[in-house]
Amino acid sequence: MKIVKKISSILVAMSLLLGSNSFAADKFPSKYVEMTVLFGGTAKSVGQLVAKGLEKNLGATVVPVSRPGGGGAVGYKYIQSRPASGYDIVWNSNSVSTTFHGGKVPFNFKTFAPIAAMSIEVPVLAVKAGSFKDINELAAYAKKNPGKLKVGISGKGAFTHLTSAIIFDALGVKVNYISYGKGKAPTELLAGRIDAAVQWPGQFRSFDKAGQLKMLAATSPKRIASDPGVPTMQELGYKKVDVTMWRGLAAKKGTPKDHIKAIEAAAKTYASSPEFIAASKKIGFEINYLDSKAFGKKIAADDKKIGQLMKNLGLKK
Amino acid sequence: MIENLIAAFHMTATLEVFFAVCLGSFAGIIFGAIPGLTYSMALALMLPFTFTMEPATGISLLLATYIGGMTGGSISAILIGIPGTPSAAATVADGYALAKKGEASIALGAAVIVSTIGGLISLIIMILLVDFISKFAIKFGPAEIFMLVLFGFSTICGLAERSLFRGLVAGVLGLMLMTIGIDELEGVQRFTFGNVQMLQGVNLLVAMIGLFAVPHILEVFLQRINKEDKVNFDVGEVKTTLPGFQFIKKYFNLVLRCTGLGTSIGAIPGSGGPIAAFLAYSHAKNSEKDPKEKDTFGKGNIAGVVAPEAANNAVTGGAMVPLLSLGIPGDPATAIILGGLLIHGIVPGPMLFIENAPAVYSIYFAIVAAYIVVFIFQVNFIKYIVKILKVQPHHLACAILIMVVVGSYVIRNSFLDIYIMILMGLFGYFLNRIKIPITPVVLGLVLGEAIESNYRTAMSLSSGEISIFFSSIVSVLFFLLIILTIALQVKKRILEIRKQKNQFDKGAA
Repeated sequence: MKIVKKISSILVAMSLLLGSNSFAADKFPSKYVEMTVLFGGTAKSVGQLVAKGLEKNLGATVVPVSRPGGGGAVGYKYIQSRPASGYDIVWNSNSVSTTFHGGKVPFNFKTFAPIAAMSIEVPVLAVKAGSFKDINELAAYAKKNPGKLKVGISGKGAFTHLTSAIIFDALGVKVNYISYGKGKAPTELLAGRIDAAVQWPGQFRSFDKAGQLKMLAATSPKRIASDPGVPTMQELGYKKVDVTMWRGLAAKKGTPKDHIKAIEAAAKTYASSPEFIAASKKIGFEINYLDSKAFGKKIAADDKKIGQLMKNLGLKK
Repeated sequence: MIENLIAAFHMTATLEVFFAVCLGSFAGIIFGAIPGLTYSMALALMLPFTFTMEPATGISLLLATYIGGMTGGSISAILIGIPGTPSAAATVADGYALAKKGEASIALGAAVIVSTIGGLISLIIMILLVDFISKFAIKFGPAEIFMLVLFGFSTICGLAERSLFRGLVAGVLGLMLMTIGIDELEGVQRFTFGNVQMLQGVNLLVAMIGLFAVPHILEVFLQRINKEDKVNFDVGEVKTTLPGFQFIKKYFNLVLRCTGLGTSIGAIPGSGGPIAAFLAYSHAKNSEKDPKEKDTFGKGNIAGVVAPEAANNAVTGGAMVPLLSLGIPGDPATAIILGGLLIHGIVPGPMLFIENAPAVYSIYFAIVAAYIVVFIFQVNFIKYIVKILKVQPHHLACAILIMVVVGSYVIRNSFLDIYIMILMGLFGYFLNRIKIPITPVVLGLVLGEAIESNYRTAMSLSSGEISIFFSSIVSVLFFLLIILTIALQVKKRILEIRKQKNQFDKGAA
């Protein structure tokens, strides 16, 4: 009996502590904010920078916490399971749509409240230097040899796969997709084991400069600031191609409006800071700040596009 | 070249860089040495601090952490039989056996010395041959890597101790565990039972912590309950002697060979430390001519520490090749270093050597400095760290228990990983009881993903033609090595059976 009494008194004390915490939170933020990061690589590097930047403008510690796995599913699930307080935010991306349409999580983008978009990354199509002069030569070859052109992707249903599908649909050709896991595109191209690959420009830039690989086209409407020499698909006559990977901040739906506003304001200040601009040039991403309303529209529009595309590719579950 | 060297020297010969190297080495050793904390974690924690540093300082901090961690992993492998990092898993068998014999300081000293030699020689090889090695690395496509990994699997023969059958069972168990989670190539979910958390699969480190640490903890507690430890536990004098010059002379040849092996495997993107260490271990065992010496492998042969430790540190030099010349990180640790390089405006790739040569040389300097500092730290550290053996085993086990629970959580900030760690631990204990060795399970976990994804990528490249695995000299060469390993093993087992039969016949007569 004594033990039961002890345990219950501890529980009561704990619940009081926890309770007082949530009541004290009338001024946001009154404690640290946890930012879930879904991926490694550039997503993580930029995420860590953004967390540091928010910290300065928000007046509270922002802790970036890695919750990788399942193409973002594990991290989204975590946020979905947390209270909608604004103390748990996620460094999100188009993966919010791919995880849902790919059947990895049972909830879609509407589970989250958009806060602000921060950046975009533009995939580019690259080939080995000397193999194809431009996109038309590549298209002509692929038309003559349907299903012969080997295109490297990170994996089925990955963003590089979806982008490739959009590009080659626009060219009107059938190709052979090779999944090779993450990040090996440059070597596979150099060795001639694959003919083309869609990846982030940072992976190709140095090889392009050295004349070993050639970036043929970018998939954004405007040219990429860090690689102004690469034409866009739209310039090359494929008007419908517009795919970019956006990254931004979101919280769980139902988070108090003023909490979202506070983070949004901090994000806005950081997005135009010299540090963020310098980082964008070094790491190779574009700054693209959108407020919560515009960001919400962007997510919804992208979700429709991605859902349709994955359905066409037979990846929708 | 000379002015680049001088410029690089000016960048690195500052007080800040010196402090960064010391701090990084120290943090790396500590994180590498504690089972459950990894140097990848130390790197991830350090990265945000480097944002505001000078490039040379920040990068030196990261590199020193990496090198300290790679070396530190052997400490817990030797002292308590739990590898601090996957690369140190091959060191456990002989290192821990030596510690039990009271030779911990010799084993630790040997590990530090050969780690430094291996790391520095691999760096020299890399500096001299970077062009050649990066061309060689490109030749390794999915088919070649598949064959290399398959060859790595043949080391099960050496790890299986008494029964090859049990070794193979263990290896296959490891492979099966690795299939849980999401399949990156097809985006398919496997054995997740509709649970979103399960999509993350079984993490190698989590499984390794569970498999090695939990059975150890259980054993110690059981002994305590049965009052066996009072009888067995005798602290005595913990020796702190270090291996001398004679030792280096004796094993120098082996160290050189393992360094070559480690450097070449490090240069191949997507393989890395554990394969190199396991291959080096089986090489040391197979190249031992004296049958009596050969028999002592797994029971405390110092060569079983020397070979994997030289090889896994040689990987650090090799891994710089794909990292710097191709921009391809070989493992999670180098991926974090890549992030650090990018933030400081150092973009790896062929142009790095042309446009930013001083940066490359400053990286070399930082690595050399890190090895020297790590060496000095560790040599002085051994005296104190071996004292850990004086702690009562059950006290130590309590500390380990806390570290492994915290450690398995922080790898991916996932509570599920704690449960997986405990499950894997109980599984490991069960395997111990039915005399199935643990190390091949880890080998299966380490190599499982690489063997599967490379096989499938190769098959899709060739549109399903198996001939792709025999279409290059490299892959055929590995195939022949595999055949040779298996043939030798079969021969050995047949001879053993005959010997036993003869003895049995004699006994019957």
